Amino acid sequence: MPSSVVDEIEATSVRQQPLRTASSHCREPAGAAAELARSLYHADLGFVLFFCSAEYPLAELGEALEAAFAGVTVSGCTTAGEITPAGYCRGCVVAIGFDRRAFAVAQALIDDLEGFDLLQAQRLTGELLAACRRVARDGEGGNRFVLTLLDGLSSSEEQVLATLDAALGAIPSFGGSAGDDNRLAHTHVYSGGRFHSEAAVVVMVETRLPFEVFTTHHLRPRDTKLVVTRVDRDRRRVLELNAAPAAEEYARLVGLPVAELTPAVFARHPLAVRLGEAHYVRSIQCVNADGSLSFYCAVENGIVLTAMQPEPLLDDLRDVLAGLHERLGEPALIIGCDCFLRRLELESLGQVAQASRLLGREGVIGFNTYGEQHHGRHVNQTFTGVAIGSRPRD
Amino acid sequence: MADTSTRPSPALPLDLARETEWPADPTAREDALREENARLRRICQALMERVEAGGMGGGAPYAAFEHSVLLAEQVRERTEQLQHTLDALHRAKSEAEAANLSKTKFLAAVSHDLLQPLNAARLFASALDDQRLPEPSRRLVGQIGRSLKDVEALLGTLVDISRLDAGVLAPDVATFRVGELLDALAEEYRQMAAARGLALHYVASSVVVESDLALLARVVRNFLSNSIRYTERGRVLLGCRRRPDGLEIVVGDTGPGIEPAQREAIFQEFRRVGPRREQDRGLGLGLAIVDRISGMLGHPLALASQPGHGACFSVRVPYGSPAALTARRQADEADPASHALAGARIWVIDDDPDVGDGMRALLEGWGCRVVTARSLSELEAEIGAAPADVLLVDYHLGSAMGDGLAIAAELQRRQSQLAVVVVTANHDAGVTAEARRRGYDCLLKPVKPLRLRMLLTSLLAQR
Repeated sequence: MPSSVVDEIEATSVRQQPLRTASSHCREPAGAAAELARSLYHADLGFVLFFCSAEYPLAELGEALEAAFAGVTVSGCTTAGEITPAGYCRGCVVAIGFDRRAFAVAQALIDDLEGFDLLQAQRLTGELLAACRRVARDGEGGNRFVLTLLDGLSSSEEQVLATLDAALGAIPSFGGSAGDDNRLAHTHVYSGGRFHSEAAVVVMVETRLPFEVFTTHHLRPRDTKLVVTRVDRDRRRVLELNAAPAAEEYARLVGLPVAELTPAVFARHPLAVRLGEAHYVRSIQCVNADGSLSFYCAVENGIVLTAMQPEPLLDDLRDVLAGLHERLGEPALIIGCDCFLRRLELESLGQVAQASRLLGREGVIGFNTYGEQHHGRHVNQTFTGVAIGSRPRD
Repeated sequence: MADTSTRPSPALPLDLARETEWPADPTAREDALREENARLRRICQALMERVEAGGMGGGAPYAAFEHSVLLAEQVRERTEQLQHTLDALHRAKSEAEAANLSKTKFLAAVSHDLLQPLNAARLFASALDDQRLPEPSRRLVGQIGRSLKDVEALLGTLVDISRLDAGVLAPDVATFRVGELLDALAEEYRQMAAARGLALHYVASSVVVESDLALLARVVRNFLSNSIRYTERGRVLLGCRRRPDGLEIVVGDTGPGIEPAQREAIFQEFRRVGPRREQDRGLGLGLAIVDRISGMLGHPLALASQPGHGACFSVRVPYGSPAALTARRQADEADPASHALAGARIWVIDDDPDVGDGMRALLEGWGCRVVTARSLSELEAEIGAAPADVLLVDYHLGSAMGDGLAIAAELQRRQSQLAVVVVTANHDAGVTAEARRRGYDCLLKPVKPLRLRMLLTSLLAQR
């Protein structure tokens, strides 16, 4: 029967390509959107996730994407660098198309981060679950994960994430904070046809394919500890470390003059808080004129920061990707939120090409973040994401 | 350099993990110590503040982060506990399922064992009925026959409901003319209706439908017997209505009808509506079975009723393709000629000697020449090299002897013309399907004499 042959061919193509990926280097929004649509669009395209350089004229790009993917839900955010099928990239846009036969996807925008309380989180979770159920092709049976994209300069990540995680319960979540190519001016998330700041996008994905939400970093603790003795917690600023001006004390720790403290230095000499057995890096964003340090995450008086030192990043990355491959089989895709400080480190070590090959080989698509999210925790200087297998488990 | 002392700028690193090396000069040393002391005081203060906040930062951002880390640890522990509970539940569930399965098997075994002697008794009664008997004896034989039939019906009902519940009954869907089923049912129930002073109106139809004939027959029989049972006066109607999405087989009556409030309840087990009658020997399982069968076949049921004026039950059956009708079914319809069996040579193999004897009495009553045996070797001892026309073999012989199919295959190998009828109390569709695949006919225990006779007639006619 011809129709069954068609079904079989379709089934095969779904098996092989439940996720399509594309990137465009076109600087012009309409051209870029059209290029993405050419690669991703098909009859069963259910959802598009994209990451774009903040250099694009965002209003125009938003309209172009809305037009190019008419009728398909599109979510995304701006970046501090993109991870395309060919590895690390800058100034471009990369996107993933989800086949609705393999994925039921729903998304929502949180536009009031300050006022996001548990009640709203529960309502939002309920709506996402219901929406997933509505679009699911074969009813029950899939597992779910949640991707969060937050405005990386909103200073609200911790509370929003903790609240959302409480409502999500057992559903694993991960994500990244949007970037803006290290300009620290405006970061945006995209939902409902336009870009938003001071906002977050929550994407729920339901699938029968196996997946694993993971996080990793390559940093090990040293003996040296610094105590935060004065903060401006609203602005995520540490004014003093060990009762001395923060920038000076940090500069002494790394053995450099304050004037030479750059993001590359922050990447090589991270600070972390220890909770139980685990160390969570709290990344420094910049040195301020008043000698204080701005962080990418919440800070508090009296927290103890442990000086960290990097071990070989590529070895750690290789191990993590190999482990995922072993547990899930050939990955269909890995969505990766990769801290931009890691990229700076790779650049300073001249290892970007090597890392690109590694990421490309394992099918990583993603972006460089201003912070990552893992199970409701805001973390820094990690590689965090979800790996999706290409074959359902028996 | 000279004015650095105006501000207590930390000239020396404060390494909290190591002992500080102090300047040798006493003044410089005192300054350094004082400075470190001040800094340590500040650090101490910050730490105290932090400790006293106790992780309850009043919704402060860092506290939210710390809280979610601690919470994650608790969640991990809790998840582990839940996983253990879930595993225990899964174990309990599979144990319960195993217990349920063993009960179903037990019920199947019991019903098999009950059907064997019942089968024999039916055959004896039927054979007795064929003999010349004085009128009082004939009446008694008739009553024995009816009582056995009731037992058979009750047992059949119990087996059916357990099998439907256990999900082991697979429908055997075929294409047939609805008249094939309804003509016979109308004839059967017309007499029953007449006995209760009711008229049965039957509107014949030759529409081709697709269903499981036996299961559909159960549904319509249930409708008919309910209508006849509950209707005091008036008539019962059996007919069909063409609907766009299937043929509706309708049974209507002028009985008491069913109150709207009871329309759900009558489809549940052991429910009866209205007073119980003395000739009513059912278990109240009828419509519960109908409901399960309709669910399994995907034939929707409908009920229309006006209390006090009557009820109308119907089942909707999908249309079948007339082209798919088989010639074999038409052959089955042929009226069996009574003399056709005279002289037919029939072998009967059944490990229950009572069944064998009953079968012999019945078959010899039809003029057949019968050899009965309990096993293949016993049969071989009896027959020598003489051939036969038909082999009637029990599917489920004692385990040491292998199943009836194997024996049939062996005998057919020696005598290719031998027609085989497999008799089984196993209502599993797999057995009948396997027998049919091998070209054998199948009869379910208890064997109905009329059906056996029709089958033998048609087998002999083909020779």
